[in-house]
Amino acid sequence: MAGKAASVPSTYSPSPTQKKKPTIFKDVDWVRPDGRGFHQCRPAFLRTSAVNAASGSAYVEFGNTKVIVSVFGPRESKKAMLYSDVGRLNCNVSYTTFATPIRGQGSDHKEFSSMLHKALEGAIILETFPKTTVDVFALVLECGGSDLPVVISCASLALADAGIMMYDLVTAVSVSCLGKNLVIDPISEEESFQDGSLMITCLPSRNEVTQLTLTGEWSTPKIHEAMELCLDACSKLGEIMRSCLKEAVSISKE
Amino acid sequence: MEIDRPDGRTQNQLRPLACSRNILNRAHGSARWSQGDTIVLAAVYGPKAGTKKNENPEKASIEVIWKPKTGQVGKAEKEYELILRRTLQSICVLTINPNTTTSVTLQVVNDDGSLLPCAINAACAALVDAGIPLKHLAVAICCSLTGSGSVVLDPSKLEEQKMEAFMYLVFPNSVHSVLPEGSLHVDGEPMEHGIITSVTHGVMSVDDYLHCLERGHAASARISDFLRRSLQSQALGNPSKAA
Amino acid sequence: MGSSGASGNLEGEMEVDAFRRLFPLRFHERHLLESIRPDARPLERARESTVALGAVASADGSAMAKIGHTTMLAAIKMEVMTPSSESPDEGCVAIDFHMPPICSPFVRPGRPAEVAPVIAKQLSDAITSSGMINLKELSLTTGKAAWMAYLDVYCLDADGALFDAALLSAVAAFSHLQIPAVSINEDGRVVTMSREDGDGKLANDPVIKERRKLTLNCILFSLTCILHKKYILADPTAEEESVMETHVTVVLDSSSRLVSLYKPGGPVLAYASAVQDCIALTRHRVKELQKILNEAISDMEVD
Repeated sequence: MAGKAASVPSTYSPSPTQKKKPTIFKDVDWVRPDGRGFHQCRPAFLRTSAVNAASGSAYVEFGNTKVIVSVFGPRESKKAMLYSDVGRLNCNVSYTTFATPIRGQGSDHKEFSSMLHKALEGAIILETFPKTTVDVFALVLECGGSDLPVVISCASLALADAGIMMYDLVTAVSVSCLGKNLVIDPISEEESFQDGSLMITCLPSRNEVTQLTLTGEWSTPKIHEAMELCLDACSKLGEIMRSCLKEAVSISKE
Repeated sequence: MEIDRPDGRTQNQLRPLACSRNILNRAHGSARWSQGDTIVLAAVYGPKAGTKKNENPEKASIEVIWKPKTGQVGKAEKEYELILRRTLQSICVLTINPNTTTSVTLQVVNDDGSLLPCAINAACAALVDAGIPLKHLAVAICCSLTGSGSVVLDPSKLEEQKMEAFMYLVFPNSVHSVLPEGSLHVDGEPMEHGIITSVTHGVMSVDDYLHCLERGHAASARISDFLRRSLQSQALGNPSKAA
Repeated sequence: MGSSGASGNLEGEMEVDAFRRLFPLRFHERHLLESIRPDARPLERARESTVALGAVASADGSAMAKIGHTTMLAAIKMEVMTPSSESPDEGCVAIDFHMPPICSPFVRPGRPAEVAPVIAKQLSDAITSSGMINLKELSLTTGKAAWMAYLDVYCLDADGALFDAALLSAVAAFSHLQIPAVSINEDGRVVTMSREDGDGKLANDPVIKERRKLTLNCILFSLTCILHKKYILADPTAEEESVMETHVTVVLDSSSRLVSLYKPGGPVLAYASAVQDCIALTRHRVKELQKILNEAISDMEVD
C-alpha cells in the first residue's frame, strides 16, 4: 500500500550479446539476412494524417524501422526570439525506450535533431511564414537500421501534409560499405558491421542535394558509384511519396 | 466492532489538531497545521501580477510548490501539486483578481500519515491568513478501511501501511447560515456533503466507499468547527498583510 | 455578439466555428441542453475504442489502444535484476508514461507536460494496489535473480481521456506479454534461450522457465467523466476537458471492486448521487472494454 523504497535496482537485459564481427570482408561477399539484393530497398509503408492533434503528420515503416513525425505550425515564435522576416524551423528527434534492442540506447543519437534541421531547411520556403515557427517533431518507435534517412523522408511527408510550402519533397537514402560490397538501405545488423556509410538527402525532381554525410574511408570512384545508387533510389522513393500524398487527397475528397 | 489502535484512539477519533497562523514574517499569509505528529507548513504569496503563458488571463491562477521533507521532487510531489492546485482553484473566487498569480508553498515538516489532508487544511488556513477571497473553506480528512470493512479515521503512517485501502476526501466546510434550512440544499443533500476532491489507494467495494463518505462527512463537520474556532480567535486585531 | 439564431444561410454557418472559438462554454452548453455533444454523441456514450496487440515486435509484450483520436502505445521489456532482501522471491514492475512532443501542440521538447508524471503515478498506483500482477510469478531464482518488467506507455495523440487509454493499453500489453525462456550460463548470468540452441547443449542449468504468459488476477478498466452543473459527460475530448474543468476518473476491476475514484478538485462538487451515476457508467463501460479486449486477444491467438 505505502510506497516502497525508491532505490532503483540495476538491471541487465538477458538477450545474448552481439555476435562478434566476422573477419573483414576481403574475399567473402556479404549475404543480406533478409534476402534482398544489394541494390534493393526495403518495401515502404507510408501514411499521412496519423496524428489528429497536429497540423500535419506522417507514419512511415521501412521494414522494421518505424517512425512517426508531427508538424505543428506555423505558430507563434517564443517571445525570446527577435523579429525575423523569414520563418523559423525547429526540429527534434527522439527515441522511445523500446526502440533499440537494449532498453534506453536511443540517447546515443542526439545529433539527429540538427541533421534533420539541415536536411529540411534547404527545401522549405521560409519566406512564406515570417515571424512564425514551424515545429517538426519525430519519434522513432522502432529502429531497424537506417533511421535518419527514414526520419527525413517521413518529415517531408508530414510537412507536405501540413501544407507548408516547399520547393520539392525531400527524400533520403543511405548506403553502407561492407568490404567491397555496397548495400543500400542497411538494416541495423549491417550498420553495426559496416566500414563506411554515405547518406544523401536530395530533392528528386530538381535533382539537387541538400545534405551529404560520409563516414569511413572511401575512394573517389566508390563515392561516385554510391551516389548514383542513392540518387536513383531517392527518385523512386520520391515517386512513392507523391503517390501516397495523392491517394490521401483523393480519399479525403470522397 | 472495536478496533484496537496503537495509540489507544477509537475508530472515529481524530488526532489532536493544532493550527497557528501568521508564523512567517515575509509571507503574505502562512499557517502551520498539525494532526498528531503530521505537521505541514504553508505559505502564500500573492496575488502577484501576471500569469504564465498557457493560463487564462481572465482568471486568477494558483501555483503550488510542494517541498518534501527529504529527497528530491519526484512524481508523487508533482501529483500532490496538481491535486492541491485543482482543489484550491475550486475554492477561490478566481474572477476577483484576473491576470494574477497566487503562489502557495507547502513544506512537509513531519509525515506521520494523512499527509495530503493535513497539507490541504494548512493551505486553506494560509489562504485565509493572506486574505485571498474564498467561496468556502476546504476541509480534508483521511479515511481508511480495514480488511473486515470497518472504517478508521485519520490513520497514522503505520496504520496506513497495514490497511487494505485508504482515501483522502475534501469537503466544503459546514455552513452556519442565517437563511432558512432548505436554501443551501442541492437535490436534498446539504452543500457540505459534496466532494471537492477524492483520491483513493487500494481496492475496496463501492459500498465501502459510500460508507467511508458518510463517516468522512461527520468528521469534516468536527474539523470545520475546529477551523472556525481557531480562525475566529486569531482574526481580531490582525491587520491584513496583502501587499 | 448575441447567440446566433437559427438563420440557416452561409452567414449563420460561418459563425459557428467562430462562436466555438470565442465562447466555448456557451457553445457546449447549448449542445448539453439538447442532451447531445458537438460530435453527436449522447452524454453517456464513450468514443469508439480499439485495441491492437503486438504493435512493437522487438518488445516482450506490447499493445496500441485508441479511444477516439487518443492513441497510446504501451510496450514491456523484461530485464533481469537481483531482488531486494525484504522480498527475495518477488520481481518488480516499473511503469512510466511519456508524452513526446508529437502528441499535442502544448508539449515542447524542453517543457514536458504537467500531467505526464501524474498519470504515470496514477497508473502505477492502480496497477500495484489492485494486485493485478502477482510479483511472485516474476521471480527466477529466489534471492538471486528476478524479472524487472519495464512498462513504457507513450502517448502518440492526445485528445482527452489520457488515463483511460493509457490504462487500456497497459492492461492489453500485460495480457500480451510472453516472458522469454531463460537459463543461467557459466558466469551466473541469465541468458535467453535462442531457438538455435538445442536442448542441453552445454553444461548449462536446464531451462529455468519456459516461455509463458503472465496470469492476471483481475483486469482493470476505467472511465473519465466530466461533471458540469447537472450533467455528466462520459469520455471527454480534449476540448471538453479544457472548457469544463471537473473530472472524475473511476477505475473498476473485473469483479466490480473500486480500485480508484479520483477527483482532483474542480469547481463542481460531487454529491453521492453523482458518484453513483459515474460508477454505473463505468460498470457499463467495463463490459464494453472487456469485450473489445477479449476480441483483440482471440485475434492474436488465431494468427
